[in-house]
Formats: sequence, structure tokens, C-alpha cells
Amino acid sequence: MIEKIEMIDIVKQFPLVRAVDHVSFSAYSGEIHSLLGENGAGKTCLMKILYGMMKPDEGQILVNGQPVSFHSPRDSIALGIGMVHQHFMLSPVMTVTENIIAGVEPRKNHIFIDMDKAVKDVQALIDRYHFSIDAKAFVQDLSVGEQQRVEILKALYRGARLLILDEPTAVLTPQEVDALFDIMRNLKASGTGIIIITHKLKETLAIADKISVLRQGKLITHRQDLGESTMDDLAEMMVGRDVELNVSSEGPVEGEVYFEVEHCSLTRNGLPVLKDVSFNIRKGEVLGIAGVEGNGQSELAEVLTGNIKADQLVMKKDGVEISGDSHSLMGQGIGHIPEDRLAMGLIVEKSISENLILGYHGRKRFCSHGVLDRKNINSFADSTIKKYGIKTPDGNQKAASLSGGNQQKIVVARVIEEEPDVLVVCQPTRGVDVGAMEFIHHQILGLRKAGKAVLLISADLDEVMNLSDRIAVMYEGKIVKTFDADKVSARELGLWMTGEGNES
Amino acid sequence: MILGLLASTLSLSIPLVLAALGGVMSVRSGVMALGLESMMLFGAFSAVVGSWFSGNAFVGLLCGILGGLVIGLAHALLSVRYKMNQVISGIGLNLLATAATTLFMQIIWNNKGSSATVASVDVTLSFLQNIPVLGEIFARQSILLPVTIAIAIVEWFVLFRTPFGLRLRFVGENPKAASSIGIPVHKMKYIGVAICGMLAGLGGAYLSIVSLDMFVRDMSASRGYIAVAIGILSRYNPVKAMLAGSLFGFCEAVQIYLQGYGVPSQLIQMIPYIVTLLVLVFGVRNIKPPAGVGAHEDD
Repeated sequence: MIEKIEMIDIVKQFPLVRAVDHVSFSAYSGEIHSLLGENGAGKTCLMKILYGMMKPDEGQILVNGQPVSFHSPRDSIALGIGMVHQHFMLSPVMTVTENIIAGVEPRKNHIFIDMDKAVKDVQALIDRYHFSIDAKAFVQDLSVGEQQRVEILKALYRGARLLILDEPTAVLTPQEVDALFDIMRNLKASGTGIIIITHKLKETLAIADKISVLRQGKLITHRQDLGESTMDDLAEMMVGRDVELNVSSEGPVEGEVYFEVEHCSLTRNGLPVLKDVSFNIRKGEVLGIAGVEGNGQSELAEVLTGNIKADQLVMKKDGVEISGDSHSLMGQGIGHIPEDRLAMGLIVEKSISENLILGYHGRKRFCSHGVLDRKNINSFADSTIKKYGIKTPDGNQKAASLSGGNQQKIVVARVIEEEPDVLVVCQPTRGVDVGAMEFIHHQILGLRKAGKAVLLISADLDEVMNLSDRIAVMYEGKIVKTFDADKVSARELGLWMTGEGNES
Repeated sequence: MILGLLASTLSLSIPLVLAALGGVMSVRSGVMALGLESMMLFGAFSAVVGSWFSGNAFVGLLCGILGGLVIGLAHALLSVRYKMNQVISGIGLNLLATAATTLFMQIIWNNKGSSATVASVDVTLSFLQNIPVLGEIFARQSILLPVTIAIAIVEWFVLFRTPFGLRLRFVGENPKAASSIGIPVHKMKYIGVAICGMLAGLGGAYLSIVSLDMFVRDMSASRGYIAVAIGILSRYNPVKAMLAGSLFGFCEAVQIYLQGYGVPSQLIQMIPYIVTLLVLVFGVRNIKPPAGVGAHEDD
């Protein structure tokens, strides 16, 4: 039974960076310990070492005072450590039970899986924690929150007494976050220790008993008592400087309707993905789209930017109908910051300067008579790198050499520098640290100030609420409700996002 | 005539089904089975070599299995250990097998077209010969027919009812997840591909020393690729692979049957491949392979 886990003077060196730099850390059963830090601070790496997925170069792990060494997760699981990864480690085509028992299956006749017993045990476990999931359901039919519970069950089924949760709230709606916190409190009450990896300060203050803050692989602070701590304190510890946490839009929107979308419908694989979506955005307005991922937001962005052809769509800019493929829409003033920078935003094998002009490389300032103008491109790249604070020796480095936050700055810089009339921006700060987040938010609001129309699609509800003037909620391919951003709570948005909202 | 057609359907299905059963194991573990052709061809060749040097056809069968295993392990080494693209590894091995078997044939028998005749497996289900109808279909079938059926059923139980099968499928669906709960991903993939090699090798051996008594250059004649299609059509289910395999066996039987009727043989010989194409185009629209095919636990 785990009472106490200590990690002493842990070092993990990667070829170019020291991910964990002499960190000592301890966790106890029956308490919730928040491991705070920006992306790339070494939180996940430290926990993967504790879970046996990575080997430390130096340092020691003690369980209840005894030194242990983990060669694979099998060893740490045997001692009662469980980890719920940020990206779920499940097979969608298998059942809840199969996912949970894989690797530790109950047997009958020594050969076969005793599936009846497995289902019974799993269902008993589910009922004990009031998870209301069917043990025989297929994982692909579960909501994201339920899948996360399956992950937690997977660890509990293996007898975990210390649970590591890696960014557990990143994909949840506010209601699901509340439910998760209840689960965590229950587990804590039953003596389970929990380590929660996060960069969300509000949540840390809400749930954690203790915190440890990591920055660039080093342990910055360890606090036993959160009593006096504020969000600003924690943010400063994480980033190492004063950070403006809530960049938000200010001043009323006074412009006239500028960008209109009418009757946008899309069918994919025979299923309707977008159902008659209509909205408009005024000059100098940010319209936020809130929704649980997979309710058509991504497709909406791709349709509006010409990456997918809609079944039906009328798009007007300044009263004039516009249409075309992605390239021609870019030429007509529609800027696009795609949700997945690696899939659509960048060619990471190409240099930073090339990525900075991608798609706009035919512009006169970059290209004359069909030949790229290297001199102009380089001076543009140099000034942009400076302006956006992209951390790199020079523009000739591959985009792949940058951290996620700096890569995202390239995508943002490329589009913002073009000063599009309409900006469609998706998940602008996904996987980006607090510092870069603040910067990107300022850029988006800069466009707003310049009188452009912005459509903001994000799974981060705080982001949507802070930046938007109006918020439209998408559910199952429809806009079910539109709010003024200052007149709605996260809770109410959450209800509409899960289809539970009503007009009363 | 119908009975004759059924009988040859069965005997022509056996090598296809064996290879497809191998392919199912491989794909279920997350490794594409494009190398089936080489495993069959090398199995067919090794079986003849074994039978030639030992004079015993069953030693030949064993050598056929080992021959397939060798190629299977090579495929696993390339695609699992060295993370080579599985398509390239598979196709590369297929090309290598054609060249290597021809070369060895030249060395051993001093002939590039075919080997000498060797002892063949002639155990049949002759005890059924006095039963009407059934006798006509089954009496002249090789002992490998019931063996194949048994393998398919056992494989089904292994995949869907045992801890090993669940773990293998988990590796194939999501290698990262498997690794995160301590399942040895590489080991499982090696086992999956090794079994694939052995079964395809046995299928190849059937071609050379059961239905014939020698090795002929390129004698697998793209059956390995057809077996890939059978695997897809069966949704990687061993029992369904047996049924899907019979469909292709039937096409081959029809093809051989029609050759006696003066239709240009080149056209007739296209039948199995055209059926394969049609199946791949129209039959497999919504069939998804395991999600982790081609993926590694650490990328």
C-alpha cells in the first residue's frame, strides 16, 4: 500500500534540452497534489518517469521509503501507481470492460478470459464510484468525460493507490470538470493520492491541497498550504514574470454587419455535420463559437475557409457574395488560423521564413515575375520574428526546431501580418504556454480594434468568454443559441454545449 | 460438374485461406501483411527443398512453415524494430523472394524454371469415399483441409477469447495505449508476424508439395495479394476469412473449369484478379483496419 512517494534529485536529459533538472518531489496518499507549469516545463516528463515510461538519467524513486526502479509501467502499476494520460490510451472499437482488463484479464480454465466475471467486476467498480457507464458499451460510443472515467477505472482496476492525471480538464466541459473534481474528492476521501498535472490556475486553487511549480525543468516552488495563494502569484511563478491572465475585449461593437454566413450545410459520410448554420459578424467584433469538440466547429471553419466544399453555403463580405477554394478565399480577405498547426498550419520541414509567407508567397512583396524575392522575404521574416518574439537564432531554421508556442506564433504572424478582413481562428492557443497565449490573445484583439471581423472557435471556454463579444453555441452541427458574452456564465454555456439548455 | 467444381473450390481455397489467416494475425497486431506473397513463395520453395533433401514430404511441410517464418521475422525486424514503412518492407520482401528462389533453384537444380520432382504429401480424406455426394467432394481433399479449418477456429478463439488475443488486438488498435499498461508491444508484434509467416509458409507449401510435387518459378502467382484482400473482406476475422477465401477459391475453380471451353485462356485467368479488384472497390467501403496499423508505441 502506497503511503508516500518520493522522487529525489531527478535528472532527465534529452539531446538538446534538460527536461527535468534536479527535481525532488513527493506525494502522499489521501491528498491532491497539483503539479503546475507551462508546456514544456517538464511536468509530464517527470510523471512519466514516476510511471516507468521513461528512465531518469539521475536520481532515485522511493516508495514508502524503499528505493525502487521501474523498467516499464508494469512495475509501477504493480506497486499501485496509475496514470491517466492527456491523450486517452483507449481502443475505441473495444468495450469498456476489454479496455479496462487488458493486461490483467481474469481467466477461466487458465486459458480463456473469464468475460462474465470481468464484466461483473468492472460494473461493480463503476457502480461503486457512481460513474453510470455500461461495462459492455463500446468506448467509441462514450462521451469524452466518460472515456476519461474509463481511464480512471483502468487504473483503479489495477489497484492504483496513487493516480497521476495529466491535464485532465483540457477536453472537458465545465459540468464534466465539476464531476471530475467530485470524483477526485471521493478518491481522496478513500485514501487515494492524486497528482494532477495542469497549467490551469483556477482549477489548481479549486482542488489542490499542495502545489509544486516547475519551470524549464526546475522545481521553482513547493507549497504545502494554498491559503494565501492567488492566481497572479501562481502565474508569476510559472512564467517567471508578471502575466496578464485575462486579456479580454473592451468597448462596445459599433460597426455595421460585415461578414454574413447563411444556410451553411454539410454532409459527410452520409451524416449531416452542419445543419443550416447562419450567423453574422460586425466590423470590430469577435464572435466566439463554443461547443464540445466534434459538434461541427472544425468543419464550419474548414467550410468557411474553402477547405471543404459545403452542400449549401452563402457567404457575404460587405454585402458582396464571396466563394471559391481556400486559395481564392485567402485572396478575398479571409484569413485562417487552422486548429492543428502541424496538420494544416505549417510545413515543419521547411524554414521559418518560408512558413511565414506560406500561402501568401505569390504576393508582390514576396515574389516578382514568378520568382521568390529572397531579400524581401528575409527582411520580412527578420522583422516578424522580432515583432512576435519567436525564439530562434534566425529565419533559416526549420519550423520543426521550435516549441509548440513558437510554431503557433508563426501561423498567427503569417495571417495577422496579412491583415485579413475576416479572420477565422481555431484553437489559437492549444498547447501553447501562458506567455505565448497572452501574446496571441493580444494579436487577435488587435485585429478587432482595427475593425476586422473575427470568428473564434475554441475548446477553451475561458478563451471564448474572454475574447468574444458574442458567443454562439454549437451542438450537433447547429447553432443552438447565441449570447452576448458579458451576459452568460460558463455554467449556462456548458448546459447548451451538451444539449441540456432550454429557453426558460 | 457442380460437385467437381465444389471439390476444386475447396482444394484451391486452402492456400488462400492459410495465407489470409496469417495476414489476419499480422494485421491484428498492427503490421500490414503485404509481405504475404513472399512468405508464401518462400514457404513453397523451402518445402520442396526440405522434401528433396530429406525425401520426406512432412519434413518438407515443416520446412515450408520455417521458410515462411524466416520471411515473417525479416518483415518484423524491418517494420517493428527498424520502423521501416510496412508497405515498402512488404513489397521489398516480395521482390526479394522471387529473385532468391530463382537463384537457389538455379544453384540446387541447375534450372531457372522449375525444381526436380520431390516427395509430396498424399494423405487424403479417402475414408470418406464411400459416402455419396460428400465422398465426391471430400474424399480426394488433402489432410490439410481439416487442418486449415481447425487453424481458423483455433485462431478465432485465440484472438477473441484469450488474454493473449485481447493484448494482441490492443497492440494493433493502439500501441501507445498497450505500452502504457505494460504490454510488451514489440514482442506481441513479433509473435503476430511470426505466426503470419508460418501460416503463409504452410499455404505456400501446400501449393508446391501438396497439390503439386515441385517448385515452379513464381508459383504463388499473386495469391499473397489476394490473401491480403481476403483479410480485408473478412474484417480480420479468422472464421470469416475462411468463407471469404472460399469465394476466391471458387473463382479460381471456375477459371480452371472454363479453360476447357475454348474461351481465350488469358481472359479466363484474369477472373480471380478481377474479382479481387471488384471486392476491393465495392466490398470493403466501410471496413477499417485496426487503428494502430503502421503506428509505433513511441511516436
